Amino acid sequence: MTDHVTLTIDERTVTVPKGTGLVETAQAAGIEIPVFCYEPRLGPPVGACRMCLVEIEGMPKLQAGCTLTAQEGMVVRTARTSPLASEGQNSTLEFILVNHPLDCPVCDKGGECPLQDLTFRYGPGNTRMTFDKRTQEKPIPLSPTIALDRERCILCYRCTRFSESVSEDNDLVPLNRGANTVIGTFEDQPYRSRFSGNVVELCPVGALTSTQYRFEARPWDIQESPSVCGLCPVGCNISATTREGKVKRIQSRNHPQIDEGWLCDKGRFTYGHLTAADRIKTPLLKGEAGFEPLEWDDALDQAETLLRAGGDTVVTAFSGTESTEQAYALGRLLRAGLGANGAVLPEEIPTALDAYRAPLSSIRDATTIVILTRDLVADRAPIVDLWVKAARRNGATILTEIPEEKLEDAVLISDNAAHAAWLAQDIDAKSAFYLPRTPNGRGVADAWSAAGDGEASNEEPRVVIVSGDDAAADPAVRALAAGADFVIGIGLFQESFEGLADLVLPATSYLERDGTTVNLEGRVQRQRRAVIAPCPDELAWISKLAERFEVEVSPHASLAFEEISGRIYGGVSFAEIGEQAPLPPAAEKGAPVPAPKPVQVPVADGLRVIRYRPLFSGPVVDRVPEVEFQKADHEVGMNPADARERGVIDGDMVTVNSRGNFHRFKARIVRDLPAGTVRLSTYAEGDLTEFVAVRK
Amino acid sequence: MAQVVPNTLKGFGVTLKQVFKKPLTQQYPEYKHPVYPRFRGRHRLHVHANGLEKCVGCSLCAAACPSDCIRVVAAENTPENRVSAGERYARIYEINLSRCIFCGYCELACPFDAITLGNDFEISEYNRDDLIYDKEMLLKEPVKKVPVADRSLYDTPIPYYRSHS
Ligand code: SF4
Ligand code: SF4
Ligand code: SF4
Ligand code: SF4
Ligand code: FES
Repeated sequence: MTDHVTLTIDERTVTVPKGTGLVETAQAAGIEIPVFCYEPRLGPPVGACRMCLVEIEGMPKLQAGCTLTAQEGMVVRTARTSPLASEGQNSTLEFILVNHPLDCPVCDKGGECPLQDLTFRYGPGNTRMTFDKRTQEKPIPLSPTIALDRERCILCYRCTRFSESVSEDNDLVPLNRGANTVIGTFEDQPYRSRFSGNVVELCPVGALTSTQYRFEARPWDIQESPSVCGLCPVGCNISATTREGKVKRIQSRNHPQIDEGWLCDKGRFTYGHLTAADRIKTPLLKGEAGFEPLEWDDALDQAETLLRAGGDTVVTAFSGTESTEQAYALGRLLRAGLGANGAVLPEEIPTALDAYRAPLSSIRDATTIVILTRDLVADRAPIVDLWVKAARRNGATILTEIPEEKLEDAVLISDNAAHAAWLAQDIDAKSAFYLPRTPNGRGVADAWSAAGDGEASNEEPRVVIVSGDDAAADPAVRALAAGADFVIGIGLFQESFEGLADLVLPATSYLERDGTTVNLEGRVQRQRRAVIAPCPDELAWISKLAERFEVEVSPHASLAFEEISGRIYGGVSFAEIGEQAPLPPAAEKGAPVPAPKPVQVPVADGLRVIRYRPLFSGPVVDRVPEVEFQKADHEVGMNPADARERGVIDGDMVTVNSRGNFHRFKARIVRDLPAGTVRLSTYAEGDLTEFVAVRK
Repeated sequence: MAQVVPNTLKGFGVTLKQVFKKPLTQQYPEYKHPVYPRFRGRHRLHVHANGLEKCVGCSLCAAACPSDCIRVVAAENTPENRVSAGERYARIYEINLSRCIFCGYCELACPFDAITLGNDFEISEYNRDDLIYDKEMLLKEPVKKVPVADRSLYDTPIPYYRSHS
């Protein structure tokens, strides 16, 4: 047992693996060492709050337990058995509360506050401080989504450590020194980071709170629904807090292999789209003056007529935001009922990559990571970026092109499925991750193939079904729809379908439905209904519609999943997926994949424009005013070297021009951008061509 | 059998004796017996002397309530709309009195003595919905008041909220 150590805590003997922290060791012995600042996910402990004071035999003074690891033969006494430690801890708590306002009744953390809990269980129980407490201006808006209350801050530095060594944005910092330290941002700029919302969950007091959840509910007023985020292909595990039938906040539900308890701000703060003003609640039919609401029976009649007119030429364009079951139900209706096999799928399925499947957490332990993406990883799959950063902190080499020499045990991250499949074999990668564009593109493609087979008709589509608001925004889908006689839309927001669809049927959001989604690892996860949708579930009306075409489609997600699972997921059931879905094992390595044709990178004067989809874009984000400030549509991303050459610093206004088109953008320095390129959002002005000049 | 007649007469005797006594029955509602000073009846929400509501919408009363009949929805005070002294106030405050068991736990839980139980018990209605008291009703004096026994006759401490407002 050389890799284990045995020690005594409060007269209990406990054996733990070498290197275990003292807090965890005590826990293993059934003893609590209370902590505020200790959070192993934030890197090495800092010992800021001193709540964890313990007495250790042989050491002259009390020690911060969180900074120590278990050692052979150690004799530790916590406040339970050591009067010295207990006195130290009481004094610590007294000090923490000296300037703490104790405004629990108006504090959002009240009822779920570690400071409340620990003050209740430890500490002297009453106060000797009779003087006035220090007051500060409050609340200070750190950003439109986060409010800061400096009076309540206990300076545990969890938030700044997150900003420094997890999201690495370094935006949130301690200002001033000693007793005057306060948390803030440089020059009171808004705290703008893709991951800023995590500090709200990390803060052990009510100093950092969400403005959206501000005064909305108390812990005893709410219900939590364990679900999975449906806004990007990572599929973070979330817990949706609801009160009186409305979503009030999204919190993380730590899945150690996927998200390690972090969420991006898109997943956390955009649930407001559920109550958007133009949310579709009833079927809509295009009339003389725009859309008119329609009774459900008439809508199904209409849909039936249109589908019969379309026959086997109907083409379905998916968004990749549907649940696997919804795509399957539509697939059954169209493929089995009409023989309409044409579909525009959002994603190619990289089945060859299944042999390189690994949990996302394995990225952290990689030694070499090859990243070949046009978009920044953080824009496509934000949490993957955090894993890459963790790997870099651990000393991993990050490559953005394939080197000449042979790579050992490389992890490949790519946004080109065909190329990645070939490259993974070529460099014999340890694992490979394909970053899809859409949250459940893979599940949709799986479902579509499970729903039937047969070739798509060669005729021009007479009817096009546009499923989802993202598909409705896709220029290629709009062009296809323009050629069809009729267009049926299925979506959340009316505006997406203005001037596009003849009949629109309401859809449910990922927070309003039961179903499964497949993330970029190939993990099948369950989404649960957190709130009742303002319209019937898709499966309900698709199953009614399918009846008219003599196809049996179950209106229940569990039964639909059973059918799909039997065909392609090896028969796993809802129950087996559970609340923390397991990763299916990697597939056998298949036949060699042919090398894709090399892509010619054109060369010309000026900087090459890379158009990318920023994380904060799309129909859902557009409907949440609080995250407006995160949008990058009026920004141009530049490589640091290119910027220096032109005398541009972060935040400058610059002119970008090509072929006589001039536009003003705010410059953002992006470290990971290759030299000689600039990044523009796909939503930024479109008349700029491939190469541009940038001037201050 | 032989005992039947004398026993019956004995019974009637008891009845007959009562006829000449002063009756104890009180004719409610014509006569209202004063309740004890600490009798727990219909709730009141209180305001500070400056007119601001004492309630800050913290929901602690709702958490304490064993019959789960209080609903509080809070909102933020703004300079234009200042309702209470703190950062937040109760935008909605409702007590469903048809479910209330008048235990007084809400009063105990309230950190601001904003909600207290008064003495009034005459709150019956023809319709259950009318028993859901909203904030406006709770802030007002009760419509019907019942007499309360003289405080000095009983060992009744003066409530904190009366001595401090
Ligand atoms: S704001 Fe919260 S997380 Fe940050 S230092 Fe203060 S108490 Fe800690
Ligand atoms: S990273 Fe993706 S899955 Fe996770 S919270 Fe953000 S949008 Fe949702
Ligand atoms: S008196 Fe008791 S039952 Fe009635 S509202 Fe108060 S806590 Fe609830
Ligand atoms: S009455 Fe008191 S306990 Fe209830 S919400 Fe108002 S302040 Fe809080
Ligand atoms: S938890 Fe150990 S010092 Fe804060």
